Amino acid sequence: MPNSSGFGQLPRRNAAVATEELRRFIQGHELPLRRRTDGDRAATILRYGAFVGSVIEHHDSLVRAMDRARGHIVSLEEGNRSVIGGTVIVADTLSSSRGRFARSWHAPAGGLWGCLIHANTLLPKSRRFLSLAAGVACCEAIRQEGAEDACLRWVNDVLIAGKKAAGFLIQGFSGHLDEYDLIGFGININNQSFPDELHNTATSLAETVGHPVDLHRFTVMFLAKLTWNLGLLYFEEASDLRGDGFSGCKGEHLLLERWKELSDTIGKRVVFGQNVFENPVFEATVTGLRDDGGLMLQLDDGSSLAVQSGEIRYRVQK
Amino acid sequence: MANEIDFDEILGKYRSDPYDYIDVCAAHTGVVRCQVAEGGEVTAPSGEWLHIPGTVLYEITRERNSKLVTSQTNGTVSSIHSELDGRFVEAGEKLMTIRHPMKKKEIIENILKEVLFLFPAPERAKYFFSLDIQSRIEKKGTRAVTIKAGDEIIIMSLMKRDTPVYYDGEPGVIYSVYFNPGVSVNQGDPLIGVCAPEKLPLIQKIITRVKADWDAE
Repeated sequence: MPNSSGFGQLPRRNAAVATEELRRFIQGHELPLRRRTDGDRAATILRYGAFVGSVIEHHDSLVRAMDRARGHIVSLEEGNRSVIGGTVIVADTLSSSRGRFARSWHAPAGGLWGCLIHANTLLPKSRRFLSLAAGVACCEAIRQEGAEDACLRWVNDVLIAGKKAAGFLIQGFSGHLDEYDLIGFGININNQSFPDELHNTATSLAETVGHPVDLHRFTVMFLAKLTWNLGLLYFEEASDLRGDGFSGCKGEHLLLERWKELSDTIGKRVVFGQNVFENPVFEATVTGLRDDGGLMLQLDDGSSLAVQSGEIRYRVQK
Repeated sequence: MANEIDFDEILGKYRSDPYDYIDVCAAHTGVVRCQVAEGGEVTAPSGEWLHIPGTVLYEITRERNSKLVTSQTNGTVSSIHSELDGRFVEAGEKLMTIRHPMKKKEIIENILKEVLFLFPAPERAKYFFSLDIQSRIEKKGTRAVTIKAGDEIIIMSLMKRDTPVYYDGEPGVIYSVYFNPGVSVNQGDPLIGVCAPEKLPLIQKIITRVKADWDAE
């Protein structure tokens, strides 16, 4: 019987991943893969990110994963217990998910929907890269699963053939005892039916590769990529604090270097705004990425400015 | 929050010296080269998005990386530590002072800052009101929106990471808003000024008095 994915029978496995399974995948696949490009430091970087998936909580359905994360923090802290950093909450469906500015986010069965609780132990200079790290991790996983032309639109939208396949909502949250970043993720994997308003702008991984994707395997891979990319933030922070600077070519932060490899934003004509749908502010051409992750833009009068906040949409060139 | 104000003293001070004196300090360690002279005019950032930098004040070089530091305000260089030119300085060392001529509106805001409870920016970022506060402002205007400690009032936005900011000051109405959506605010700079309802008449008195005094000139 056909289902809503449009690809016949979906793989039966869901996003219910065990921590041990993630660890085995990292040792058996991610570490060898990273050693090819990063040599001996690969193991160190993965150790820095090993908090990811310390606990993985799976639900058949949730209202919102971020709300579940906040409730989890509050209930543990009220009992004077610590929240385990790196706890991941995933659900097969979300009934009332939303993106930034309370935009609705369609989260039916077949996608990867969830949230990572990151205890805020980064310095502000590194913490600002959390958004980039989430996008890079997702783009890497999507490419590895077969959508090789997936790319990043600043800050961290993952696009396939110009359509959005994944989005992230990153919010700070202060408990009574500690401060956290909640990294919400929504990745269209096998879900293929979108609300009318998203029909021309959203896509899924399965739609791109032309067959259903093993959601379980993808979840493990995505968490492994998060382990690496969040590990990079700690690795580079430690390197910088030692006075060694960053480790990329020309002393660039490894995460920024990777972001540039995966992004097609630089050189694009864009519309910018804090909330670009409701209040587009100006058009400009992207000229580069600053060391702090900010976007460098050239306005039509020839002047330049940098933005560290807000969002862009690509302007279709005629 | 001050309860009483000696209007004559404050207004006398601004009338005799209607300037703000802004110290310019080294952004970080390095060798400085001053790019302005005492008495020189400097300009503030301009352009619709304040994207055209102000006058270059000094160049600072650290480990062969040079950085030009520009003026954030307009005015005149009233004093300069020229003995530091070409020398290594520590971060925060005072390099010069800019005398900025204040407008009537700035004078009012400066006086109000002594009366209002100022809620500072927790870090350098862009800020906007939370959805609830924004909708209340749109319906009634800021000065009709009352807030209390614990209210989520502002969202701090940096690299698409949104952090709710909770108010922790005295209850009152949002009287002054010091940030613009889309413009970065430095850590510690005030975001809003809050006034207890019973002090609103005092605020009105300040504004009326300053306007009357300045308009009379």
